[in-house]
Amino acid sequence: MTYAWALGRRSLREAWRTPEALVPTLFIPLFFLVVNVGQAGKIFPSGSTPFLKGQSYAAFQLPNSLLLAASFGTAALFLVEDIEGGYFDKLRATPIPRTSIVLGRLIAELAKGLIISAALVLLALAFGISVASGVLGFVLVIGLTALWAVVFVGFMQLIALKTRSAAATNSGGLIFFPLLFLTPNFVPRNLLTRPMEIAAQVNPVTYVMEALRSLVLEEFAWSAILPGFAVVAALGVVMVWLNVRMINSYD
Amino acid sequence: MHTQTPRREAAVEASSLVKNYRSRSGVVEAVRGIDLHVTEGEIFGFLGPNGAGKSTTVRMLTTLLSITSGTARVGGVDVGRQPDAARHRMGVALQEAGLDPRQTGRELLTLQGRLFALSAREAAERAKELLALVELEDAADRLIKGYSGGMRRRLDLASALVHEPEVLFLDEPTTGLDPASRLTVWDEVRRINQRGTTVFLTTQYLEEADQLCDRLAIIDGGLIVREGTPGQLKKELQERMGLSSEPTLDDVFLDATGRTRSRGAGDVQEVSA
Repeated sequence: MTYAWALGRRSLREAWRTPEALVPTLFIPLFFLVVNVGQAGKIFPSGSTPFLKGQSYAAFQLPNSLLLAASFGTAALFLVEDIEGGYFDKLRATPIPRTSIVLGRLIAELAKGLIISAALVLLALAFGISVASGVLGFVLVIGLTALWAVVFVGFMQLIALKTRSAAATNSGGLIFFPLLFLTPNFVPRNLLTRPMEIAAQVNPVTYVMEALRSLVLEEFAWSAILPGFAVVAALGVVMVWLNVRMINSYD
Repeated sequence: MHTQTPRREAAVEASSLVKNYRSRSGVVEAVRGIDLHVTEGEIFGFLGPNGAGKSTTVRMLTTLLSITSGTARVGGVDVGRQPDAARHRMGVALQEAGLDPRQTGRELLTLQGRLFALSAREAAERAKELLALVELEDAADRLIKGYSGGMRRRLDLASALVHEPEVLFLDEPTTGLDPASRLTVWDEVRRINQRGTTVFLTTQYLEEADQLCDRLAIIDGGLIVREGTPGQLKKELQERMGLSSEPTLDDVFLDATGRTRSRGAGDVQEVSA
């Protein structure tokens, strides 16, 4: 883990020194939050919409923006740059476990995810959204978002290691958009049409979104929270395993 | 009584080394069973035309590419069976200076030291020493993306030396450099070699090989086609062809790889045989 930590710190420096890649991860989710609330906010007034539990529609939409912010996967594009520029080979020529190279990036993504999601939630608080589950809920919200960021960048890193191409990795990231829209992102699951409800049910992102939403809108409802954490834990294990397998057989 | 001089230790040794790739059109034999013996302390040149198998061989020797068959040892360690132990014995500077443009020179060398298990203090000290060795102290705390090609090459060399390797692999270290930077890199290579490091160098510049290398091998089509000191190779060609003057290393290379050179009106044209 010492090597993964050293490489993780290097990845964080890399992110900090590339603000042009970092700024959109905050700006675009905020943009979607404003647009979505602007388009549908009047349809769902907080006083007469039971699923908002007394909060505004912006609070209902906040998890969408958090998941979007956590799904940019820029770390995987930096990995492609390392591969194309030869630094990846320099790292592979050192006597560290090769898994440290991918784990370092995942550790950095976790730290970045915590910072970006905390910034987004704090901004939301400034605009009147509150986290109903309190301080612990706030910690769980940013923790779950950051863990999702790790899962997603793990997926992107697989594409990066397989294709070694920035264009292919970038295109691979677009898979998230259908997943984000095949969720109860505008209304709760029970208000979706039957085909959409089935699609949302088999989509793992649904459970992460519902866990985040539950933490924002109500006090601890573990039946909604735990499936979200279970999904990121299961997908996280799969992604780390696949990443390790891929880098160990990288030629 | 006849006493046989014992053969010096091999810094790099390869036996029947083969690399095959699978492609859509079938199996490509990039390296077809080569043997190499690089003695401790020498500068060994590995030459060949584009696509001859130079870089593939270097990548196998440096553990970056799997070996299809055969064996390779660096510093006495089997690179296929004990890659981590082999990596401790070798430094690697590949074709494109493999550097992270978003780190400073000092950060890059310090991180490299940490990855070779130096403590934070040791890594910082080693980075300082190496920055002095390659004369990059003034640029040490600038981001690498602002370095010139020559500075990048020198930093790449320094990063390959962090752990004081027994063998330094340099894959085309001066490609793309201006003449002044090329001479600086040559000086660095000589200085590194004088400190006891064996250098395994691939190059396309025959003058570079002539200037730097104690011995060299020429690879073509995945096979070693000539091996010896530059002087031996020139002499062999001169005798075989009955030439009145000593041929150049260019002539040796062209003869070995089956290429020809036609001269006309003061210019030189290289054509494939």
